[in-house]
Amino acid sequence: MTKSRIRRILAITLCAAAAVLMIVSGVNMPKKGGPAGQSILEDLRLRAVLSATGSSVVESYVDIAKKEAQQRVKNAGGGMSEIREAVEKAEEEVRARYSNSEVDITGIDTAELTAATEAYAKALKTYDELDSAARAIYIEAHYAEAEAALEAKHQQMLDAGMEIPENDTVEVDMSGFVPTAEMVQAQAEADQAYLAVGAAIQKIYPVLDEESIGTLKTTVKDVVYQVGDTFDTQYDRCVEQSGAKESFAGYLIRHAADILYTAIALVVLAVLLLFNEWLVDKLGIPRVIIGLFFILLCFMTLWCGLSLPSLMSNTIVRTGMNAVMVLAMVPGIQCGISLNLGLPIGLVAGLIGGLLTIELGVPGWGGFALALAVGSVLAAVCGYLYALLLNKLKGEEMSVTTYVGFSVVSLMCIAWLVLPFRSLKLRWPLGTGLRNTIGLDSTNFRHILDDFLSIDIGGFTVPTGLLLFVALCCLIVWLFSRSKTGVAMIAVGNNARFAEAAGLNVNKMRIIGTVLSTVLGAVGILVYSQSYGFMQLYTAPRQMGFIAASAILIGGASTSRCRISHVIIGTFLFQGVLTLGMPVANVLVPGSTISETLRILISNGIILYALTKSGGASRA
Amino acid sequence: MQTDFILEMKNITKKYGENTVLSDVSLSVKPGEIHALLGENGAGKSTLMNVLFGMPVIHSTGGFEGQVFLDGQEANILSPYDAMKKGIGMVHQEFMLLPGFTITENIKLNREITRPNLVSRVLGKDLETMDMPAMARDARKALDSVGMSIDEYTKVQGLPVGYMQFVEIAREIDKTGVKLLVFDEPTAVLTESEATQLISVMKKISASGIAIIFITHRLDEVMAASDSITILRDGKLAATRRTSETTIVEMAELMIGRKGDAVVEADERPAPHEKVAMSIKDLEVDMPGEQVRGLTLDVYEGEILGIGGLAGQGKLGIPNGIMSLYSATGQVELFGEPLKLGDTQAALKAGIAMVSEDRKSVGLLLDQSIEDNIVFNAMQVRGDYLHRLGPFTQKDTAAIRKTANEMIKDLDIRCFGPTQWAGTLSGGNQQKVCVARALCMSPKFLFVSEPTRGIDIGAKKLVLETLLRLNREHGMTVVIVSSELQELRSISDRIAIVSEGKLVDVLSPKASDADFGLAMSGIKPSEHKEKGAGIT
Repeated sequence: MTKSRIRRILAITLCAAAAVLMIVSGVNMPKKGGPAGQSILEDLRLRAVLSATGSSVVESYVDIAKKEAQQRVKNAGGGMSEIREAVEKAEEEVRARYSNSEVDITGIDTAELTAATEAYAKALKTYDELDSAARAIYIEAHYAEAEAALEAKHQQMLDAGMEIPENDTVEVDMSGFVPTAEMVQAQAEADQAYLAVGAAIQKIYPVLDEESIGTLKTTVKDVVYQVGDTFDTQYDRCVEQSGAKESFAGYLIRHAADILYTAIALVVLAVLLLFNEWLVDKLGIPRVIIGLFFILLCFMTLWCGLSLPSLMSNTIVRTGMNAVMVLAMVPGIQCGISLNLGLPIGLVAGLIGGLLTIELGVPGWGGFALALAVGSVLAAVCGYLYALLLNKLKGEEMSVTTYVGFSVVSLMCIAWLVLPFRSLKLRWPLGTGLRNTIGLDSTNFRHILDDFLSIDIGGFTVPTGLLLFVALCCLIVWLFSRSKTGVAMIAVGNNARFAEAAGLNVNKMRIIGTVLSTVLGAVGILVYSQSYGFMQLYTAPRQMGFIAASAILIGGASTSRCRISHVIIGTFLFQGVLTLGMPVANVLVPGSTISETLRILISNGIILYALTKSGGASRA
Repeated sequence: MQTDFILEMKNITKKYGENTVLSDVSLSVKPGEIHALLGENGAGKSTLMNVLFGMPVIHSTGGFEGQVFLDGQEANILSPYDAMKKGIGMVHQEFMLLPGFTITENIKLNREITRPNLVSRVLGKDLETMDMPAMARDARKALDSVGMSIDEYTKVQGLPVGYMQFVEIAREIDKTGVKLLVFDEPTAVLTESEATQLISVMKKISASGIAIIFITHRLDEVMAASDSITILRDGKLAATRRTSETTIVEMAELMIGRKGDAVVEADERPAPHEKVAMSIKDLEVDMPGEQVRGLTLDVYEGEILGIGGLAGQGKLGIPNGIMSLYSATGQVELFGEPLKLGDTQAALKAGIAMVSEDRKSVGLLLDQSIEDNIVFNAMQVRGDYLHRLGPFTQKDTAAIRKTANEMIKDLDIRCFGPTQWAGTLSGGNQQKVCVARALCMSPKFLFVSEPTRGIDIGAKKLVLETLLRLNREHGMTVVIVSSELQELRSISDRIAIVSEGKLVDVLSPKASDADFGLAMSGIKPSEHKEKGAGIT
């Protein structure tokens, strides 16, 4: 049997399995809200309630049996030791009788209890809805206050020289919150509903007195309703509480969504199996492997119950904030200096532009434009000198750019300490020099692109402004590559001797490409900073050149040939794997610092992998 | 089996795939004789020597047919090392010497004389001490036998080129049991007096009983040095002669010969000679391996001028120098206007176009589409095919596509379409793309360098026909530089032969094979005839 035939049969099998799973999932999914699902849920809830109350029942029986035994022995005229013996024996007997944890509900009239718990759940839900609405109003009213408080806290942290955590969010202090009249009303109704539940339980277990019913209230409440309840959470809770064996039907309904994800994963696998040669041919092995890893991570987030939309939204933002820096690789590759690992020159220039904006206190768009302008001019000048160096050292670009990148970062570590900036936002409060991390805020260009025209679709935020800006940069680079100079520059990068034979000035074209790359680096770091919310000085820019280079290599570029599409694909895959990988790792290995380790592993791993692919595939 | 020959190669046939490079060639060398091996570039000399040395390139491509006898015994030579053990040595054209080592060390490299010492007794033979005095004595002996008085402890670095050649020879002689030495173009880099000395050394070596195979293209040296001659032509044995029984003219004739039928026949016409299109005076071009050393030549308007000569003699340097791809000096006038050397753009703007001999590294952007390749020069030099908006330009895709499609049709470029990558085309079609790019410049003067190198016969015909058509229909002056004399003779009006960077003579395409053969080895045919007449 040929290889392709085995592959086809396998793919068909996978598809068939997927189809079966999809049908199963499709049949069971609607049941969650339907009567079948409700009845399973009701049954489970009942069992859970009874199981929860059951232990108090056993205690009551034990109590009764003990008293009876004591009385009996006393009546028979036994001594103290005999009484103790009889009491112990009675307790053992009773416990043995009720030891099987599963509650036998056959022969019990549960209709009343079912109705009562249902009503109780509804009442709790009403209360909860009122509660959350009231809290939302409270939060909105006090948000600005909390935001100011957080900024003050960050400022304090900066002053103390601490790093600011990337995902620090604004939290409103709820201590001043007072329940509304409606809530009090709903609370009373819920209490009322519980009394009905209690009565129903007492009917089933007459041994329970009023006191035990009272103490059971929180247990029953937790079983019946919790904030943000869905079918799945209730199901899981009740199964755990009741200790009952799950029915197969129940399992299918509960895991309908997971079954669907698995089915889709199988289809994806089958498609890959069928088209793997075509895909490898079109995209190249590296992209297929990383793309597969990305898809796998997407499914893992679903299986782990993480929010895929919000993670994807994160991925989009991170793609946008890194894209311009990756785009900076394009002119470098095109003009023949291969990967511009000296990108930190541009980054530093951009940072200086940003610092100047804060120093002068230019707010909003004007400030961002000023930062871009200053950064670009500085980058152009430095890029020109850098290009002269590269022209003197043709053929050794890879080591020269790496070395220049490292040197510039180290040199600037001194410069950041001595540059004459005066603003207290930038300087250390004590001593001299600039801070390690400079927080941006609403008075300058924090999130200026991200928030421009941004759209929120159910947990998925589209940073419209950021994406538009990235698209604009890509368009400019694309248009340039189609201009006379651009065509000449690409020819120089492609084949310098060919370009010479057409009378082109090879050195000049290399200078143009290097300057353009450096300027894009400056723009790129500003786009990155406004989205991140902080400007990082000192050693932070050191790694960024490598990250940008890796992203474009993963996107499919080689050290001598690249396109805009490589930038987009590469940045998306690189940032996507990083963004999805960490939360998944956290779920898989809970309670560890694995995510930080993994972040370093993944990002450096991708860089290493990409560099091994730097030769790329020539068309020659 | 008793035999008179030290080496006999019988009926050697070698194919690289479909391509037969040697067919039924035999070579016999007697002990102590100098045997010259003659032939044009590509005649099969190197392949025959590769067979003799058992080079990996032969074995990895399916071996060869025929037999090799050494001293009458059939020999199966597996590798160059094997050849060395069997007593065959080679004096390379490029010196294989270590510059930082002394002459002695170079001569004895990897054959050092060693003495055991304390360490080597424990750790093995590799750590034995070198016996320098003994090695120096051997080296001295070898140097004396090639007539070199230089101190054997001198470092090779900084020695004159001629000396390095002799050191190389001394090394081969020093190998014990050498029976046969191959000299691969040994005089190519030597001055005249050094060459004379070399020939006398060769005679001395052969007198000691070692046979020599002497590969060269200098016919006068062959006459002066050799005892017998084998001439190869197109992978076939052209002739074997005793040197005393032949003449330079006969050898030249045998070397060139008529090779197959012409691919293209040009109509006969009187060669145009009214107006000079380009006049070249004292051109010197510093192109590695193809140096031009003071060439003077006039090209007439409307003619097809062929430039021929053997490889490495500088014919390729002429177009590359005039287009300033390599540094060049001299005076060049184009249609009466002086042309500035050192400025490629100026040459292109003046209306000269060139199709380079090095398609892959100079002629094409392999990673770009056919259409981008075709219009590149026109766009960059003349600013065609561009939309303009103030200082901004964008390439005019529609116009580019139209021109590319026309060119693809006109030149019959076999491709999937104008957007196919140039690197994926076959050699012939790549060459057509190069021609198309030159044509886009609508040049008045066209240099075509090795237009048919490495392309199949159909493409060859088409390229040559195109050149002919451009000349006849558009009156374009065409200069074709080619190693294939047959091709030059079929379409040129005149043929200039270059040797050692200088013009030897300008011949008519109908001149005899002997004249071409003489000119290629640097002897002006008319002068030779006069000289010959004078002697007899």
